[in-house]
Amino acid sequence: MSPSGRHDWNAVCAVVAKDFTAIRRSKAVVLPMLFVPVLLLVVLPFGIGLVARAAHPGDLHSILSKLPGGVARPILRYPPRQQLVILVDGYLLAPLFLIVPLMVASVLAADAFAGEKERRTLEGLLHLPIEERDLFYAKVLGAWLPAVVISWVGFAVFCVVANGVAWPVVHRVFVPTALWIVMIVWLAPAVAALGMGVMVRVSARARTAQEANQLGGAVILPLIFATVAQSTGLLLVSLPIALGVGATVWAIAFALLARGASRFTRDRLAATL
Amino acid sequence: MLTIEATDLARRFGDAWALDGLTMEAEQGEVVALLGPNGAGKTTTVRLLNGVLTPERGRATVLGMDPRRDGAEVRRRTGVLTEAGGLDDRLTLTENLVSHARIRGIPPAEARRRAGVLLERFGMSSLASRTARGLSTGERKRVSLARALLHQPEVLFLDEPTSGLDPAATRDVLNLIGGLAEEQGATVVLCTHFLAEAARLCRRVAILEAGRLLAFGPPVGLAAGMWSGLPVELDMGGTADAGRIAQLRAVRGVTMAEPSASGARVVVEDREVIPVVLGVAMPVFSVVPRPPGLEEVYFALTGRPAADTAAVDLRAVSAS
Repeated sequence: MSPSGRHDWNAVCAVVAKDFTAIRRSKAVVLPMLFVPVLLLVVLPFGIGLVARAAHPGDLHSILSKLPGGVARPILRYPPRQQLVILVDGYLLAPLFLIVPLMVASVLAADAFAGEKERRTLEGLLHLPIEERDLFYAKVLGAWLPAVVISWVGFAVFCVVANGVAWPVVHRVFVPTALWIVMIVWLAPAVAALGMGVMVRVSARARTAQEANQLGGAVILPLIFATVAQSTGLLLVSLPIALGVGATVWAIAFALLARGASRFTRDRLAATL
Repeated sequence: MLTIEATDLARRFGDAWALDGLTMEAEQGEVVALLGPNGAGKTTTVRLLNGVLTPERGRATVLGMDPRRDGAEVRRRTGVLTEAGGLDDRLTLTENLVSHARIRGIPPAEARRRAGVLLERFGMSSLASRTARGLSTGERKRVSLARALLHQPEVLFLDEPTSGLDPAATRDVLNLIGGLAEEQGATVVLCTHFLAEAARLCRRVAILEAGRLLAFGPPVGLAAGMWSGLPVELDMGGTADAGRIAQLRAVRGVTMAEPSASGARVVVEDREVIPVVLGVAMPVFSVVPRPPGLEEVYFALTGRPAADTAAVDLRAVSAS
């Protein structure tokens, strides 16, 4: 951002394009970014869906009906033969989906911030006529955009896999539901931003991307567990609550990123070189 | 016209002063050397002058601007070769150049054209589409230098541009630096450990140690301020013996006499003393004035013993 307050979008886009090109060529970054989404969004829904489709749910109905607050009501609406596969692929795997934006954003943020120090390329960037705020935006966008795109593409693939594997018993498209859409469009980008916010702070202290990932893991892992614990329930609550949860995650992410941006100064960065 | 002016510039990290009171200047088209071992404050100086670090004391102007206030505009008109080079191993050589050019606002086609021209000039065009991984130190320096020149900067900060280069590459880089200053009027701040390259290229030098400025000025001027008299080398066909040296020291007007490989090194108060010296030291085959060079000035200022080599690597000195 120039002293006049205007962003130099050419410079921002140039940094983002540079980072995209570099990421594409890095196996250490690309492989986890592909492996985890494929495992969580293709292999697991397909395998577990196949098992659930073939299983006889037995007393699943009695278990679901005992859950508090009628949270199982959306599932109990379906015929018993469809309940297990819908429960598994439509609800229980949802938490895993949110791991994707969190993990991808974290890996890319570590590479974008701490990785520049590790590769000794940061000083060259600091000597360029790009404002600190623009460089920060470029680094955040360069990690956040791929995380969101990968999550959305992964979700599209997941929908095809989940509906495909359940089709013989369900005979219709059952994901995405309205709450799934909220999770994908509203919550997943927020979770990616949250991962970014954490890693920006962590990367300021780390000297290598690996160190940032290790330090960040201490923060990200509890977040993953919290996500896993809460997101299935999120799919069973009302739309306004889901939107509210998303808004809260956005607020925390923005607070972390704003704090990170305020500390992202040439002087501070150069002092750590 | 003064391009760079620094007055009492200082910066510390924690309790340690990385730079403590640097006062120097550089004119347009001048090559100025920052000389000193590792930790002397050379890189900190470059970062302060280019608006990357903020000084804790003092002030500086570069191209008439305050780097602290107009950092982006200063950096738009300066080029920097960092000590590490800063190439991204995952990008091709062309991409390394073009990405920086794009951040500087140069349109893509023009950025690619300039990158091609510069890589050709530095003999790297055959590797242009290869990633930087696996390049030798010399190749990395050349690509990094090409990148620093992409936008035709008015001021160049070169941090150890020849370290790791072979003699031929060193000669090429030094010729290039000299050419940039003389022909294109660029001001060059050369951070170096090598006294010989500073002596060859620079009219003025700043000698730094542990963040402190020991001296700034032309080597001859610094020497004149440090030593009086005229140093001469007497060729006597072999090292003068102790008796001859004692005779020389006894001559009125001789302030110093010591043996050298070819005879004796003598400092006289003025030229009138030389015939008397010749009478004492016969036979003398030649008398050559030998004013102190940058090397003598540097080692006298730092209080370190001079090495007997033409080009002294200060890293070796600081490590010893």
